Amino acid sequence: MSTYVYGIARVPVPSLPEDLTGVGDPPRPVRVLEQGDLFAVVSEAPENLTPKRRELLAHQRVLSEAGATKTVLPMRFGSVSDDDETVTGVLADRAAHFLERLDALEGMVEYNIKATHEEEAVLHRVMADQPELRAASEANRAAGGGSYEERLRLGEMVASAVQAREAVDADTVRRTLAPLAHDVSEGPESMGWLANFSFLVDHDTVADFAAAVEDLRMAEPQLELRLSGPLPPYSFVDKTGAGAGVGADAGVRAE
Amino acid sequence: MTVAPAQQQGGGTGNLYDVLELVLDRGLVIDVFVRVSLVGIEILKIDIRVVVASVDTYLRFAEACNRLDLEAGPKKSTGLPELVGDMSESGARGKTKGALTGAAQTVSDAYQQARDESKREEEAAPRKRTASRRKEERE
Repeated sequence: MSTYVYGIARVPVPSLPEDLTGVGDPPRPVRVLEQGDLFAVVSEAPENLTPKRRELLAHQRVLSEAGATKTVLPMRFGSVSDDDETVTGVLADRAAHFLERLDALEGMVEYNIKATHEEEAVLHRVMADQPELRAASEANRAAGGGSYEERLRLGEMVASAVQAREAVDADTVRRTLAPLAHDVSEGPESMGWLANFSFLVDHDTVADFAAAVEDLRMAEPQLELRLSGPLPPYSFVDKTGAGAGVGADAGVRAE
Repeated sequence: MTVAPAQQQGGGTGNLYDVLELVLDRGLVIDVFVRVSLVGIEILKIDIRVVVASVDTYLRFAEACNRLDLEAGPKKSTGLPELVGDMSESGARGKTKGALTGAAQTVSDAYQQARDESKREEEAAPRKRTASRRKEERE
């Protein structure tokens, strides 16, 4: 029977809800495997597990429960071990590494922030910043919208200005919030946000971080900010691993 | 304003769609363990955004500027209609559909579902978004 692994943490094992279930249909009961100073939160791995929304949510929910009172190293979705013994074997063999990561992340949570432009506000912004855009727009309007070519030319100038603004605003988000976090990681880039960053925030300063996000929202009305958290430190758990934390020191680049 | 609950304790999921990518793409990977459904996860990483430099985008921006009340503050509503291009959206979706199969389609559906939920939330306070966000919706 293969074993699905949600996360790894340091003993003592916190009390988890008795009826806590994880992935699968029906959802498999969650249990704990202890080994030395560590324990793994696991369940039976269902056959043919696929990354459906329900399964992803189950993974996240189990980690939320396990991480509610202590730091947990979250596994990436879909980590399946041959059996329980393999899991405890990994905990024993790599205890030093896991304990080091747990120490480094002690008391920290991840906040993910995604930014888009609020269209009307960003148009106002670029118009205010660039008088030639405003002039072209007013000329078109005076001409009843302008010819196809005039509209195309204005639109191209505006699109270019908005794109440039995306880069500026991504940088602003990062520069404003980074000082309130221990670390920053660029989120996966494929989803079309102008900024997508995860911040590693000390649990004790979460209120300051949230306040800074609120200030940013007021200061930059063209930005629509979506804040998610507190989350297990998905983006900071494996700084050496591929796909995790690689963007932490990379320059900001708005796509 | 669409804000995932920030102060939810115990690792609240906030907006599920916003954290799905982290569950899928981040987190500890241990070589001894098998990863399921890697194919779907890889396909998710393909950049599906449509470039902002297109005639459609230019015309839409020109139209939006034409309707923009430049004398008003940036937050004043000018009754700008939702120009989110249904016309271009359906076309782009048709194109991508064939490329997504099996597990990838499942993931895509999962994202879509979550996104639709997120859209419903937003309907309470509709706000216009720029091309960059819309590109994402064309997936």
